[in-house]
Amino acid sequence: MSKVIQHGVRSTEPMLLVVQVGNAARSAFGNYSHSRRCDVSGRRFFSVTCALFGRGPPSRIEKKTVDIPGLERVTYADRMHYVPGLAKPVFPDWRRDWHDPHHYRGPKNEEMKLHKANPCYVFNQRTKILEGVRQALWLTKSKLIQGLPEHILSLAEDPANQIEDQGKRVQQAIRHSCFWDTTAIRPKRDRFCPVLLRDLLHLCGTLQLKHTSLSKSILAENYRVAALWNQESDVFQVRGLIGMLLNIMTPLPEVIQSGEVLATENHTLETFCPISPTIDLQSTYVYDQKNDTGFRDGYPYPHAHTLFFIETEDSAAKFKPEQLRAKMIMFAFGNALARAKSLYGEHPQVLEQPVVVQSIATDGRLFQFIVLQLNTTDLGPDTGVKNLIWMDQDQLLYDYAKCRPLIKKKAVTMAKH
Amino acid sequence: MAAPSRLPLLQFCSTRVFLLRCTQGFHSEPAVQEPAYPPVIPSRTAKSKSAKKRREEDYYNQVRAASSVQDKLRLLTKLQREKYVVYPQTFTLNADRWYRHFTKTVFLPGLPEKCSVGRQVVDQENGKVPPAAGGVDPTVVDENTFSELRYLVGNGILQENFYLKKRRPFLQKEQEHFVAPFLSNLVSSVTNALAKYNPLLKMSSLDFNPEVSFYWMRGERTVPRGHRRGRADPIRFQINDQPHCQIRVPQQLEEFLPLQESVSAEVPVVQFEPNRLPMFQRQYDNNIFIGSKVTDPCSYGHTQFHLVHDRFKRDRLLKGNLADQIEVRLRANAIASLFAWTGAQAMYQGFWSHEDLTRPFVSQAVVTDGQYFSFFCYQLNTLALTVQTDHNNPRKNICWGTESMRLYEAVKDGEVVGLNDDVLKLLVHFLLNKPQKM
Repeated sequence: MSKVIQHGVRSTEPMLLVVQVGNAARSAFGNYSHSRRCDVSGRRFFSVTCALFGRGPPSRIEKKTVDIPGLERVTYADRMHYVPGLAKPVFPDWRRDWHDPHHYRGPKNEEMKLHKANPCYVFNQRTKILEGVRQALWLTKSKLIQGLPEHILSLAEDPANQIEDQGKRVQQAIRHSCFWDTTAIRPKRDRFCPVLLRDLLHLCGTLQLKHTSLSKSILAENYRVAALWNQESDVFQVRGLIGMLLNIMTPLPEVIQSGEVLATENHTLETFCPISPTIDLQSTYVYDQKNDTGFRDGYPYPHAHTLFFIETEDSAAKFKPEQLRAKMIMFAFGNALARAKSLYGEHPQVLEQPVVVQSIATDGRLFQFIVLQLNTTDLGPDTGVKNLIWMDQDQLLYDYAKCRPLIKKKAVTMAKH
Repeated sequence: MAAPSRLPLLQFCSTRVFLLRCTQGFHSEPAVQEPAYPPVIPSRTAKSKSAKKRREEDYYNQVRAASSVQDKLRLLTKLQREKYVVYPQTFTLNADRWYRHFTKTVFLPGLPEKCSVGRQVVDQENGKVPPAAGGVDPTVVDENTFSELRYLVGNGILQENFYLKKRRPFLQKEQEHFVAPFLSNLVSSVTNALAKYNPLLKMSSLDFNPEVSFYWMRGERTVPRGHRRGRADPIRFQINDQPHCQIRVPQQLEEFLPLQESVSAEVPVVQFEPNRLPMFQRQYDNNIFIGSKVTDPCSYGHTQFHLVHDRFKRDRLLKGNLADQIEVRLRANAIASLFAWTGAQAMYQGFWSHEDLTRPFVSQAVVTDGQYFSFFCYQLNTLALTVQTDHNNPRKNICWGTESMRLYEAVKDGEVVGLNDDVLKLLVHFLLNKPQKM
C-alpha cells in the first residue's frame, strides 16, 4: 500500500489515504505510479526556495539485504567509506528527538491505529463510478422512479407559490449570471454556475413573504458528512465535503406511506455482473467507523432539506451527468443515513418514520433533481424493504445563452444581448 | 493696338451695387449673410498648445456626443497609461486622509439623521450606543420580526463557530473559513425577512464576490522623464474592489443632504505625490464596473458588505502596536469602496467629470470582521475631480461612518453571549432604506 507523507495541517480526524493504484486516470504519471511517494494530489512545501506545490523527488528503489542467520556480514562500516566487495552496512533507524514537521515520515498503514483487517469502500466527493445510477441504486438498496413525486409538482404548478413576474425575473437571473457579471464578454463556468444558483435562491427567498415557514431554514457550506453501512459482508462509507446544504427545523414529510413502502419488498435490485458493485470506490484498510451528520448535537436545524451540487473550479471534479446523478444519490443517501442513525440508533431496522432528503445538481444549464426517501437502514441483505428515489434528469433551464453575434456568410444572424 | 476697351471695374461694380442698393428699400434689415469662410480655429495636428487644446476639446465633444453609455465609457477608458492602484484594504498608515484627498471626500462621524435610529452620538470608547428611548422603533419593524432576526443572527453565529464541525483552517484563511459563510447567511436571511417591509428588497439583486471597479483622474503632475518629459499629465487612479456581497436595486436611494448644501468640514490636502503613501503604479485595463454591466436593470447600489481580510484583522494590528489604525483602516476601506461604487453608478447614468452630476448618488456599506461591525453612508455629489473641472467646484463628496461596534461578546457552549441589539437595529435600518415614493 502506498504511503503518503503529510505536511502542514494537523487535524483531529485521521486523513484517509488517497492513492488508488491501477486507476487509469491516475497512472498518467507513468513511471512514478508504482513508486511509494506517488502523490497524485500534490503536497504542500513550506520552504520558500522551491515551488509551493508539486511532486516530491522520485524515491530510490533500495536493494533488500539478505540476512542469513549465523553468517556475519562484513561491511565497510569501520572503514567509514565505500569499499568495493564489502556489504553495505545497515544502521539502526535514527529518529529525531523532537518533532520536525518538514521531515516527518508518517507511520506505515499496518502500524496505524485505525488499521482494520477488512477493506472499506469509500465514496467521496470526487468518485465517478462506472455504472452510474445503477450502481448507486444497488449500493443504496433503492428503487428508482422516473419523475418527481406529485405533491412537489403540484407545489410548483400552483400559481400561489410562484414569484411575482417569475418568468421575467428568472430570465434576468440567467442574463446576470451568463452575461452581465463580469467586465469580460462572458464569465467562466465556475463563475456563472454558483452565481446562477445564488440568484435563483435569492428569488426563492423572496417567497418568504407568503410562506413564513421558509424562514426556518439556513444554508450550511463546506460541511463534512460521514455515513457507514454494511452490505453483503462489505463495509461501505460515504465521506465528503459538500458544497451547500439547506437545513430546516422540522423534518420533510414522507412522500409515500408505509403501505406502499412495504410493497417495495418485491422489487429486486439490479446487478451488473461481471462488474463488481464496488468498482471505482476508494478501497482502504485504515478507516474510522463513524456516522456523522457534520453538525453537533443541539443544532437548531437538525434535518436536511436539500443538497446543492455545482460545478466548481476543481478540474478533477468535472462530472458527466450520469456520474453527477450517482453522486447526488450517494450523498443524499449518506446524509439521510447519518441522520437516521443519530435519531433511531445504529441497529439496522426498518424506519417507522422515513427520512426524506432532496438534492439538486447543476452545471449552469442542465439541472438534475432527486428526492430520496430512506425507509430502512437494514442494508445487509438484498431482500427486504427498499429505499425510494424519484429522479428528474437533464432538465434544461434555457436552450442557449449567446451574446456574441453569429456571422454566417457575411450576415449577422443573432443580435447581441 | 486693338485692345478691348476696359471699363473701369469700380465704375462697373459701383453701378451694379448702386442699382442693387436702389432696388432694396432703405428701411429693410441687412440680410444675414452666411460666412463665406469657415471659422478661424487652431490647427488639429500642429505641435502647439492651441492645437493640443483643440484636440482635447474635440475629444470632450466626442464623449459628450456619444450615442450610448457603453460608448461613452469606452471612449473614457480606452487609453491605457500608468495609473495608481488604490486598494480599499491597505496596509499603509493613515490611508483614510490620503483617500479623502484623492476622492474629494469629507468624513463626518456618526450617521446622517435619516439613519440615526433616534440617537446622534456614538460612544467612542467601547462602541456601545446609548439605547434609544422605547427600544425598537415601532414604526419601522415590529417586535416579533426583530426577535426573529435576533434568533436568525444568533443561529448563524452559532452554526459557523460551534455547531458545524470544521477542521482547523489553513494559515490566514480563518475569515474565509468562519466568517464568510456567516456573513452570507446573515445578509440573505435578514434581507428575506425584511422584504415585507421594504419592497425595494424584493426587486433587488444580491451578488456574492462581485467586482467593483472605478477609474478617475485627480490632480496633475509634470512627467519627470521619458519621451513625454516636461508635459503636464493628470494623475490617474484605479480601484478594483471585491466586496463580500452587495445589494443592487433598480431605483435610486434618496439623498441624505441636498446637492448644493455646503458642509463645514474640509477636504484634506496632501502635498505629497501618491507614491509616497506608498501607492504603486501599473498599466492595465481601465474598468468602470458596478458589479454587473450597463444593461442590467438593477443599476443603482443599496448596501455593500465588506469582510476584513486576515492580514488586517484587529489582533494583528494590536500585536503590531497599531491600535489607532484600526478605525483608520475601516474608514479608508469604506471611503474607497463606496466612492468607487457610487462613481461607477453615476457613470452608468452618463455623468462624467465634464458633465457633472445633477443629482447625488447614495450608497451604504457595512465593514465587518465577524465580531465588530461598522456602518458607513456615502453621498457622491461631484465627479468633477480633474484639474480643469475642479477649478470652481464647491461641491464635496460626503462620507458618514460609525466606530466599530461589537455584535456579540463570545460564543460559549452553544450560546451567544452578549448579543448587541443596537448593531442589529442599525443593520435593520440600513436595509430598510428606500426611496420615499415607495
